[in-house]
Amino acid sequence: MTLADTTPTAAGTAAVEDVPAGRWQRIARIQALQIVLLLAVTVAIFTILRPGTFLTPFNIRGIVQNTSILAVLGVGMTFVIITGGIDLSIGSVLVFSGVVADKVMAAQGGQGWGTVLLGTLVACGCGLGWGLLNGVLVAKANVPPLIVTLGSLSAALGFAQILTKGLDLRDAPQTLVNKVGFGNIVGQVPTLAVVAGVVVLAGIVLLHRTRFGLHTYAIGSNAEAGRRVGLKVDRHLIKVYALAGLLAGFAGILNLGFFQSTTIGGQSNTALNVIAGVAIGGTSLFGGVGSVFGTVIGLFIPIVLQNGFIQINVQPFWQQVVVGAVLVTVVYVDQLRRAAAVGGRKHYRFPFLSHRGRRT
Amino acid sequence: MKRRTAMVVGSALVALTMTAACSSSKNGGSSSSGGGSKAYKLAFIQGVAGDAFYITMQCGIQAEAKTEGATVTTQGAQKFDPTLQTPILQSVIASKPDAILIAPTDVSAMQQPIAQAKAQGIKVVLVDTTLKDPSVAVSAIASDNSGGGKAAFDAIKKLAPAGGKVLGVGVQPGISTTDARDKGFADAAKADSKYQYLGVQYSQNDPAKAASIVSAALQKDPDIVGIFASNLFSATGAATGIRQAGKQNSVKIVGFDAGPDQVKALQDGTVQALIAQQPGTIGIDGVQQAIKALKGEPTTPTIKTGFSIITKDNLNSAEGKAAAYKASC
Repeated sequence: MTLADTTPTAAGTAAVEDVPAGRWQRIARIQALQIVLLLAVTVAIFTILRPGTFLTPFNIRGIVQNTSILAVLGVGMTFVIITGGIDLSIGSVLVFSGVVADKVMAAQGGQGWGTVLLGTLVACGCGLGWGLLNGVLVAKANVPPLIVTLGSLSAALGFAQILTKGLDLRDAPQTLVNKVGFGNIVGQVPTLAVVAGVVVLAGIVLLHRTRFGLHTYAIGSNAEAGRRVGLKVDRHLIKVYALAGLLAGFAGILNLGFFQSTTIGGQSNTALNVIAGVAIGGTSLFGGVGSVFGTVIGLFIPIVLQNGFIQINVQPFWQQVVVGAVLVTVVYVDQLRRAAAVGGRKHYRFPFLSHRGRRT
Repeated sequence: MKRRTAMVVGSALVALTMTAACSSSKNGGSSSSGGGSKAYKLAFIQGVAGDAFYITMQCGIQAEAKTEGATVTTQGAQKFDPTLQTPILQSVIASKPDAILIAPTDVSAMQQPIAQAKAQGIKVVLVDTTLKDPSVAVSAIASDNSGGGKAAFDAIKKLAPAGGKVLGVGVQPGISTTDARDKGFADAAKADSKYQYLGVQYSQNDPAKAASIVSAALQKDPDIVGIFASNLFSATGAATGIRQAGKQNSVKIVGFDAGPDQVKALQDGTVQALIAQQPGTIGIDGVQQAIKALKGEPTTPTIKTGFSIITKDNLNSAEGKAAAYKASC
């Protein structure tokens, strides 16, 4: 994963037409660099404070493992947020898909790869179903995405609880747990991280190198303009929500492998944590701007902070405060930078006005 | 553009060094008390942060560690949940303590992460809750929870001797301690023909949910005579639910645990009895077992601690005061 191939060229042309592409590319590179720099500085500080325990293979492996499932969810969420939407339902869809997959795998029996593959297909199917439902309601019924996905957040969790009577299921096949959840591909490289890495790379290519990605930016930047130049906006929105659902379903099977449990009670904040990562990563919640690479780095930052704070023994409640402050600070500074890049000096003092002005 | 980059990095630097400074000054006190070349580094991972039960346990652990010349760091997640506890455990393992005392939040989900601690050469002691396969730990220390459930039913029998319907309010299935409490209560209630056991409802450790469960149950069965709430938050919520239904006098509630909220509920007369565990003792035993394991001495694989029953009558006695949990050390 290198910096160079993540420069959102499509983002530039779709979002800020009045800036020459060369200059925007340079800025975009700096933006990605900015977040990477923040992550690097954070890692450096903790390494200095806790030499010998922070930057160890074991700890890096743990941090990467803890980020993997969120990264899979983050790819879908980045697409949704770039269209100017939101998906609050991914945590519940993850649980629902995990529950159905668990039931199917238990009924099928067996502990081998065949059962795991079946479970994966079932989980992805469930996720896709919820995603399509979200997309149709957003695009065709014109219900605001916040409300649609708030509804499916509640309904998907409810169905999961109906299916399980509220009891967590624990029928993950041994292959899923030992090879995927806690296994290594080679040496100390966790399978979970490699799987997430593949999803992230596919997401980067899809967003920055394909027509699908370009249309995603265009709709987020100005849906009406997209419609007038002949984009099938509704159909595209449905596809984007379906993608987010599909990935949430896939994350459901990974989650089952990692926790050996459907974690019914444990995913209520998942969507918000992913949204925080997407925002820290430089994707605008107003739509039209963003990158998958930024999201991944944005997801790493709170997890690295938590890990480091535990190692230097910061009281648990303070950890939440700092993570919250970092989220707001990073997005604020990003807004200032963006406003300066778009509007020049005169907009510099009113970043929020200029930003909204550009959108409406 | 460079200036803005500097700003992000700068503000991150400031935030980090500030929190680091705070924590290191806090650490200063405890680590200086260690002394000696064999100052063991212990880590305690609570089931959930900010719960009087775990705070009282933490007090016991800190006091015992001090007499042993060891240092302790304490961490806990915001919710009693394996998805939140796993990354905390992983970070603690990475910080290479000599021993970890942990209250696992799920019998199976925490198995692999705790096995990783053992694989790193760290001695593990399970406090309060346990695992499917507790052999990864040198010792598992907990209250005799099934006995506690029976005691709770005995308390209801005393409070409502005429018999009637009884309900359990649990946390969530899969937690070894509360499962055992619920089972102890259920077995005792089913064995007594004067009482009708209505089953157990799960609050997911959320007081608001426990409240809505209890008020709904009272709608369905207004003649419930006793409710057993098997942990702190369930009891807090159950008390609220009974108050909502205006049934303070007809429904007897027995809580498990004796945090400040429960003690207050007992004083108010909303809760009629509390089955108090001995978290301080669990913590002290945990440190002793950990130190023994580190010194290569034999350890006790399973230790069961007792409990005390607190009612309004003995609440203000020395015994009752010692049994109540602490909000801070």
